[in-house]
Amino acid sequence: MSIDLLLALITGAALFGVGIYGALSQTNLVMIMMGVELMLAGAMVNLVAFWRYLHPDTPAGQMFVLIVMTVMAIEMAVGFGVAIARFRAKGSVEMEEAVELKG
Amino acid sequence: MSAQTFFIGFFGLAAVWFGIVVFRTFSMVRSALALLFSQTALGAMFLSMQAEFLGVLQIMMMATEMSIMAIFMVMFMMDPGGLGEMDMTHQKRLSLSAGIVSFVAAVAVAVFVDWGPVAHTAPDAAQQTVDLGLELLGRSMLIFETAGVTILTAMIAATAVAIQPATWRSKHEH
Repeated sequence: MSIDLLLALITGAALFGVGIYGALSQTNLVMIMMGVELMLAGAMVNLVAFWRYLHPDTPAGQMFVLIVMTVMAIEMAVGFGVAIARFRAKGSVEMEEAVELKG
Repeated sequence: MSAQTFFIGFFGLAAVWFGIVVFRTFSMVRSALALLFSQTALGAMFLSMQAEFLGVLQIMMMATEMSIMAIFMVMFMMDPGGLGEMDMTHQKRLSLSAGIVSFVAAVAVAVFVDWGPVAHTAPDAAQQTVDLGLELLGRSMLIFETAGVTILTAMIAATAVAIQPATWRSKHEH
């Protein structure tokens, strides 16, 4: 296996791991979104690496990366919309205080 | 070791390091900037992997996205500079375990799976852009259009969620 592909996949795995840690450990909504962004970034590295080292003649691989970028933008837009609504209603975006969301 | 391998490793390491810094600093603004550097390092890594269009797109998109995030951080946080050193974490051990397990599992898949023959050359930048353009406006047009409409829907939905409801406004104005 190519060392470049391995390096890219390990980077993707590390970013995904850091993202999971952030999304689970943070109590602030914006910080949780940062964790999710890192997880998506990890997936994106893998997609670029697979396109470059396994299927460089298939442009659909690059299109998948564009879709992940779209998902990142949507996540930010909706996340900040929810954050503004929450801040207006409760004066804080701390998820520890969102006890009314408990099932 | 080729220069390409060196730069992929270097920018990959930088991306991971800045990703870790995001959750290590008390300052929210520094967190947003660290995420910006992490995503920019990823863009540089894409450039090292000869994905020129995606690399430039990543850097441009993330520079604006993370700048907006930094502004929101300052708006929402009681202590955006982190001088009070407030701890805003919970279930640390569980989170750390989940992060390590997912990292090890993903690395194991990367190392032990036979990925087949590796391509040593990629189309040049101009050819890649032409191919991607034809792909987006040809075979994958429906997916591309769906992504555009989904972004528009998300923008409208986010704005609708964020604006003050009329009932809330009238209650607080009188």
